[in-house]
Amino acid sequence: MNTRDKGQQKLLWGSAIVVGLVVVITLIDKRSIGMQWLLSGLTVGSIYALVAMGFSVIYSSTRVINFAQGGFSMLGGMLMFSLSVSGKLPLWLGFILAVLIVTALGAGFERIVIHPMKDKSAITVIIVTIGLSIFMTAIAKWIWGTDPVKIAAFSGDKPIRFLGASLVPQSLWVFGLTLVAVALVFVFFNKTLLGKGMRAAANNPDAASLVGVSSSTSSLVAWTIAAGLGAAAGVVIAPINFAQYSAGTALGLKGFSAAVLGGLGSAPGAVVGGLVLGVLEQITAGYLPSGYKDAVAFVILILVLLVRPQGLLGRPEEVKV
Amino acid sequence: MALRNPGWKAATAILCLLVAVMVGAVGCGTQKVDTSKSVYKIGAVLSLSGPAAPLGLPEQNSLRMLEEQLNAGSGVNGHKVQFVIEDDQSNPATAATAIAKLINQENVSAMIGSSSTGATLAMVPVAMNSQVTQVCCAAGTAITKPPKKYIFRTPPTDSMAIDKVLGYLTGTLKVQKIAILHDANAYGTGGATELAAKAPTKGITVVANESYGSTDTDMTPQLTKIQQTPAQALVVWGTNPGPASIAKNMQQLGMKIPFIGSNGIANKTFITLAGAAANGVAFPGGNMLIPSSIPAGTPWRQAVDKFSADYKAKYSKDADTFAAHGWDAGLILTAAMKTAGTDKAKIQSAVQATKGLVGIDGTYTFTSTNHDGLNVNDLIMIKIENGAWTQIK
Amino acid sequence: MERLLPKPGDSDRRAYRTLLIVAVFIFVVPAWSRLIPGSVLHMDIVNIMVLVGVYACAVVGLNLLVGYGGQISLGHAAFFGVGAYTTAILCTKLHWFPTWLGIICGAVLAGMVGWLVGKPVLRLKGNYLAMATLGLGEIAFILFQQVKGLTGGTVGIVDIPPLSVFGLKFDTDLKLFFVVWAVVMILMLLSINLIRSRVGRGLRALHSSEVAADAMGVNTSRYKVQVFVLSAVFAGLGGALFAHFQKYVNPESFTLALSILFITMVVVGGMGNVWGGLVGVVILTFLPSVIQALPQWIPGLPSGLANFSNYELVLYGALLIVFMMFLPKGVAFGLSRAGKYSEVRARHLRDRIKARKMEGR
Repeated sequence: MNTRDKGQQKLLWGSAIVVGLVVVITLIDKRSIGMQWLLSGLTVGSIYALVAMGFSVIYSSTRVINFAQGGFSMLGGMLMFSLSVSGKLPLWLGFILAVLIVTALGAGFERIVIHPMKDKSAITVIIVTIGLSIFMTAIAKWIWGTDPVKIAAFSGDKPIRFLGASLVPQSLWVFGLTLVAVALVFVFFNKTLLGKGMRAAANNPDAASLVGVSSSTSSLVAWTIAAGLGAAAGVVIAPINFAQYSAGTALGLKGFSAAVLGGLGSAPGAVVGGLVLGVLEQITAGYLPSGYKDAVAFVILILVLLVRPQGLLGRPEEVKV
Repeated sequence: MALRNPGWKAATAILCLLVAVMVGAVGCGTQKVDTSKSVYKIGAVLSLSGPAAPLGLPEQNSLRMLEEQLNAGSGVNGHKVQFVIEDDQSNPATAATAIAKLINQENVSAMIGSSSTGATLAMVPVAMNSQVTQVCCAAGTAITKPPKKYIFRTPPTDSMAIDKVLGYLTGTLKVQKIAILHDANAYGTGGATELAAKAPTKGITVVANESYGSTDTDMTPQLTKIQQTPAQALVVWGTNPGPASIAKNMQQLGMKIPFIGSNGIANKTFITLAGAAANGVAFPGGNMLIPSSIPAGTPWRQAVDKFSADYKAKYSKDADTFAAHGWDAGLILTAAMKTAGTDKAKIQSAVQATKGLVGIDGTYTFTSTNHDGLNVNDLIMIKIENGAWTQIK
Repeated sequence: MERLLPKPGDSDRRAYRTLLIVAVFIFVVPAWSRLIPGSVLHMDIVNIMVLVGVYACAVVGLNLLVGYGGQISLGHAAFFGVGAYTTAILCTKLHWFPTWLGIICGAVLAGMVGWLVGKPVLRLKGNYLAMATLGLGEIAFILFQQVKGLTGGTVGIVDIPPLSVFGLKFDTDLKLFFVVWAVVMILMLLSINLIRSRVGRGLRALHSSEVAADAMGVNTSRYKVQVFVLSAVFAGLGGALFAHFQKYVNPESFTLALSILFITMVVVGGMGNVWGGLVGVVILTFLPSVIQALPQWIPGLPSGLANFSNYELVLYGALLIVFMMFLPKGVAFGLSRAGKYSEVRARHLRDRIKARKMEGR
């Protein structure tokens, strides 16, 4: 993470305090129920974080917003069903294969469609990713039908009690995967040559290509990583959420709001945004009529875009003249 | 002259494209429609794609099977029958367009549709305006309340399901306080509102009334709120996968109060999704789900057994209640056309005069004030035990 | 005093002439479509064209915003819905309320909402603006569902009275067809005039470079908001007409999918071309029917794929992708390029023939 100005630091501390206060008040007011909301929120929030990381990685490398990001998660879950339940493969093998297949699809799409379109206007590319999202949903319906599918939890269903609330064991898998993913992404972008090169390419494409990391490579690697992250998220949440052909859109929208909250283009921002969004959603559903829960993501989205478009941890965009 | 200018040519070319597209689309048919006068055409607008596809696809299967069986025999009074089926994509606007096309272009004599309440309500003005009888497969109360002359339905209404549930709560479980958790969509909200209104008349207090989004997967916030209330039972009104998530959440939270679902979970998918958490769940459903609940040897039992066997043989899946709704709609209309032919006014009177027609969902009787056909006795309470359905006597 | 519009030049006269031809062409549709027997036609063209017409109102406005103003909105279904719900609520809750007034109220209210949200949101650019409008559209959808007392919640509002103006009832598809398309033609006329006017020139300057336009004294934010509000009014007008056509509204009719459909129609039809919106809306409305007919045209498709609705969406998504890759400026540009190309070829041919003649061969 790079240097931040005083203003941003103040904002970060301010937001952290506000969110922290909300959580603490909820816990005091509702005690163990509040704890339940917190834990559920963190579980859901981790998935948002993974999807949001996918958005951020692609955005930071290519300035493209990938509407199909949620679709990668959906495909991951559905493929896991086919491989591990219908195909009876062991869980670990199904997981790896599902992630690999979706990653290959993401990379393929980048090469065949996105790369040739790099000079087209933003709205054209947005429509293309929307087209991909529609295409993926339709293919999923064709292959798997409309019913939700059931994948057995990786380590059983016996609830785990924690500070007055209960968690299903699958939630631990979700947390675990998120931690691993965050660590891997961090290591990649900060310790490897390719990753550092990609960050450089995002700031100064010409200089970066001089040292061997072209924007074309950046784009391909970004899409590959995003597809992989999305697929992994989809696989690990499927036992809780019931994978379904239509699951991509809602997840994509929420993940996107989380990415904007944390700062489009900032991977740590995506994690923060995802967790905060997940927890705030659960608290809202707890206090208000639950129908307004979905509005939380969009209200946050609008507020962030109007007040501070670069989100909590992002940097302001320069407008090229 | 202006024709030399490329822009002018472009505009003309655009016009030609518009013509070509329209003529091309116009010349296309979706099915080979038999235009010989002696074929009885019945239109059907069903949700074959989109969220309501799990309802529409079995309905389409039934209609195709009915068409095959009728035409293999003597048809309807010697006339072959054809169901002209359109997909409304679970979208009200598409449903309205489809019914207009079927009535005005395909000249169908009667209509079936749609699978969900929203799409059905969009079709109603067109059917009423064109004075064409429409038998729907959706359960939304607003469709026949108040009764509209040309609109009828096959499935048991949500009101009937609610009455059945209330009977179970007071008669068998003997509880006084319940909590409601419903899907925020039309189906869930309509059911919850009616349940909350009727419960006090049966001596039951509703101590909590929460909702969840159709795509939500974690209902623990709502359930924890309910846990704090003195509710003795939880009534869940929604369609899959919501109730399955709720069942699992209840297990996670260690909630022991009985879970009573709606007719929305009257399918095997709920059991598959909820797994072990499904055991102990009760819900109202049609007798055809447990054929042994119908006395052997009766016409109804024979019809149900034959229908289930034929459906399984043709489609390799079990027939569910949606398949039954579709079949019965086709049955009612073809029975009416035996006496009414293709006269639209006569079809309406014939359908309205239907008495004691044995279908799969139950026995249908319509009157001028009752366009619902079935009644609360055509439902039974079913409990899930060891992953299978058993009737609660 | 300065004229509101400059004197019409060649291209402007062409535009008006084209408008006239298109109008005549469209109003003639019911004549031949009603003559062809249903067994050949397989489609109620008049009925579909009413839906095309109400969508066209929204798309023509959106085309101004996107193609000329250079902005983007992924939430325009919300304005369509505001127009529809306004007239539905007024006409069903107050039985005496005249429907034509309901439609005007719908358009005006949609414009007001556009002004309220446009002012803050249009400060954003590109991707951010797209996302903000998407979020607003979703919030509108949630409000349509949640404010049950007003909107009827997820069940919606039934029994909306048909349009009637001073005793004349427009209750059949045919009558509505003429009303709706008259409105669309008026909106097209307004669009052409707008583009010719000073506002239009300001918009085009804005589109090519907002910074340059700003530097030259064009009040960019005012123009942006104005065209946004105008597109909201057009969409609200379309929505209100839709309510009196379908006579039933519920939130399902105004989802993100509809907003995406609108923007797709603008982009596929051709941004920056005043006809783009109309072309897009016609193509994308009739396209599903064409796709549905493909199994009958291509005999090679296996019969197991009888349920076409499954792969209709697959083809739709694929077509979007292909279109954006190869024809990003839309069909209208593709056609005019084809027109120009053939035009240039024809001229070359003529010149060559002339040259040969002159050489005395």
